[in-house]
Amino acid sequence: MDDDSTDGPDPEGSRGDGAGASPTGQPVDDGTEQYIELDGVTREYGSVLAVDDLSLRIGGGQYHCLLGPNGSGKSTLMRLVLGLTQPTAGEIRVPDIVVGCGFQTPNFYPSLTVRQNISVFAGIVGATDWEWNRTVVEELRLNRALDRTAGDLSGGFGRKLDLALAFIKKPDIMLLDEPLGALDDVSTARLLEFLEWYVEQGNTVFVSTHRVTEFEGSLDRVTVMHQGEIAFDRRREEMTLPDDQSLQAEYVEEILEREGIESDSLD
Amino acid sequence: MSLQSLLEKEFHWSLRNLLVLVFLLLLLPGFFAGTSVVFQDVLPRDVPVAVAPADEEVNETNLDIVEGTIATFTDPKRVDSVQQGRAMLERESVYAVIEVPPDLNDPSADAQFRLVVDGAIVPFLSPSEIIGDVLETEMDRIFDAEVTAEREVVGAEKTLPEYLFPTFLMTLVIFFAFTYVPYNLKTEAAVLDRLRVEASLESVVAAKLLFFTGLTVVPIVVFQAAALYYGYDVAALAPGAILTLLLVFLLVSTVSSTVMILSRFSGVGLFVNVTAMLGVVALSALAFPLGFFSSLRTTVAQLLPTYYAGIIARSTMLKGASLGTFADWLAMLIGCLIAAVVALEGSIIYYRRTS
Repeated sequence: MDDDSTDGPDPEGSRGDGAGASPTGQPVDDGTEQYIELDGVTREYGSVLAVDDLSLRIGGGQYHCLLGPNGSGKSTLMRLVLGLTQPTAGEIRVPDIVVGCGFQTPNFYPSLTVRQNISVFAGIVGATDWEWNRTVVEELRLNRALDRTAGDLSGGFGRKLDLALAFIKKPDIMLLDEPLGALDDVSTARLLEFLEWYVEQGNTVFVSTHRVTEFEGSLDRVTVMHQGEIAFDRRREEMTLPDDQSLQAEYVEEILEREGIESDSLD
Repeated sequence: MSLQSLLEKEFHWSLRNLLVLVFLLLLLPGFFAGTSVVFQDVLPRDVPVAVAPADEEVNETNLDIVEGTIATFTDPKRVDSVQQGRAMLERESVYAVIEVPPDLNDPSADAQFRLVVDGAIVPFLSPSEIIGDVLETEMDRIFDAEVTAEREVVGAEKTLPEYLFPTFLMTLVIFFAFTYVPYNLKTEAAVLDRLRVEASLESVVAAKLLFFTGLTVVPIVVFQAAALYYGYDVAALAPGAILTLLLVFLLVSTVSSTVMILSRFSGVGLFVNVTAMLGVVALSALAFPLGFFSSLRTTVAQLLPTYYAGIIARSTMLKGASLGTFADWLAMLIGCLIAAVVALEGSIIYYRRTS
C-alpha cells in the first residue's frame, strides 16, 4: 500500500455504525448508512435446510466476518445476498449502492488474459477509474500475470484475479467468500492489509470464512452460523475472551458445544 | 494397476452420468431409427404438382381425371388458373404445374399438356422428364384426342453445384447455431456467477447472439467468393438471402441457447442440440424437394420453419426472387423468433428460480 493511499478519513469515524451497535452486534442505523437486510430468510434445497429463518444486516462500514464450519450455510447466505439464489421464504433488501463480490470458486474468463478479464469486467460494471484499477492490480500483486491466460493461472493468482474483478468497481459493500483460499502467506498479508485499509475508507467488507484467525485482529463484528442459523452475532469488543484464547478457539468451542461434543473429548 | 478397479471406476462414473448415457445410447439411437421411417421411397412419388386448366373451356370432369391419374406418381393440387399454379411454383409450394388443355374428348383434336418446372430445382429436373413422358402416355391412353405433353423449364437451368450452394450454406448456418453457440455459452459457466451479479444472463446471451449473428456474414461472404471463383450463378450476398440466413441463425441460436440454459449449461444440453441439428438438417428438405422419399417427410418438413427459410434462401440466391413473394413466410420466421425469445427468457427465469 502506498503511503499516500492510506490517507483518508479517521478509521474510527469512518466506520459508519462502527461507532455503535446493538447488543447482538447489529449495526445501529444512524440514518446515513445503507444496509443489506435479510429478514426471516430461509433457503431449502429439497429436504436440506441450508438457511433457516435468518435475519441479518450487513453494512455500516463494518469489517464483518461471517464464520461457520463447512456446510453451515455461509455460501448459501452469500448467494442469497447476491441474488444468485432465491430465498424459499423471507425477504432480502439491497439498497441502491454498489455491491461487489469475490467468489469461493474464482469467477473469470479462463480463455482471456488477466488484462482482458479486467478490461471486460471494467467495461461491464463501468469501472473507468483506471488509476484505481491499477492500484487494485498492484495491491493484489497481479502485475506480473497481466498478460497470462487466466485459465493457466495458479490457484493463488486465480484468486487474486477474482478479487481484482470484485474491487475494480469500488463497491460500498464488498462480500468475500473464503478470500484467502490458495493465497500464499505474502499475498495473504498484503490482502489483509488492503482490506483493512478499504474498510477505513468507509466501505463495508463482509468476509465469509471458516477460519477467522487471519482476520481476527481487525474485525468489527463476527457472526457465527451453524446449521443454517445464526449461533451468535457480536461486535468484536463485546466478546471478552480470556487472554490465552483466540476468537477462532472461542468459535470452535461454541460450535462443539452446540453439537454436544466436549472439546476435551477430541484430545 | 488393477483392471477391475478401473472398470469399477467406469461403472460408478457411468452411474453418475446416467442421464447422458441414456440419452446417447438409448434415446439418440431410437431417434435415428425412428427418423428412418421418413425415407421410404427412392423415386419421388409424392411431389406436389399443381393441376391447372389451360383456359376456361377445360371441363371439371377432365381435370378430375387428370388429377386422379397423376395421383399415382405425384401429389396433385387443383388450382383455378395457370397463373396461380406458376405463383405456387415460384414459392416451391409445387414443383411442377400441369396445364390441362381443352378438347381432350375430341378425337380429331390435338391436345397438348404443358408440364412447367423450375430450372432452379435441379433434383427435380430429371424426374420431371419422366413425369412428362408418363403424363403423355397416360393421357393419350385415356382421352380421345391426340395428346402430347410439352415440358417447359421456367428460369435459367442451374447446375447441381449451384443448387447445392444455398443448401450447404443453410446447413452450415444451422450447424454453427446448434454447435458452436451452445459450446460457447457453456464456457460462460466458469464466470456465470460474476456475470449474473455484474450484468444479467439476458444481456450476456443477447450480446452473444448479436455478436455471432454478425459473424455469420463471414461464411456467406466465403460462399459468394467461392461462387465467383467457380463461375456459379449464385447470389449468396443477395439482401434477401442474407436476411433469411441471419434470421435462421438467430432463431436456431435462440433455441440452442434455451436448451443450454434449461440443461444448466451441461453436456446434456450439447448432446440435445447436436441431435436437434441432425433432425432439423435431415428433415427440413434442404437438399431434396418435398415428395422425395415419403409423404411423411413432406408433412414433417412443412412443420419446420427451416424448410420455408431454405426455400426463401434458395429462391433469392438462385432466382433473384423478391422477398415480397415470401412476406408471409418471413413474418412466420419472425413470429417463430419472437416465440423462441420468449422461451429463452422463460428458461432464464426458470434457471434463476431454481438456482
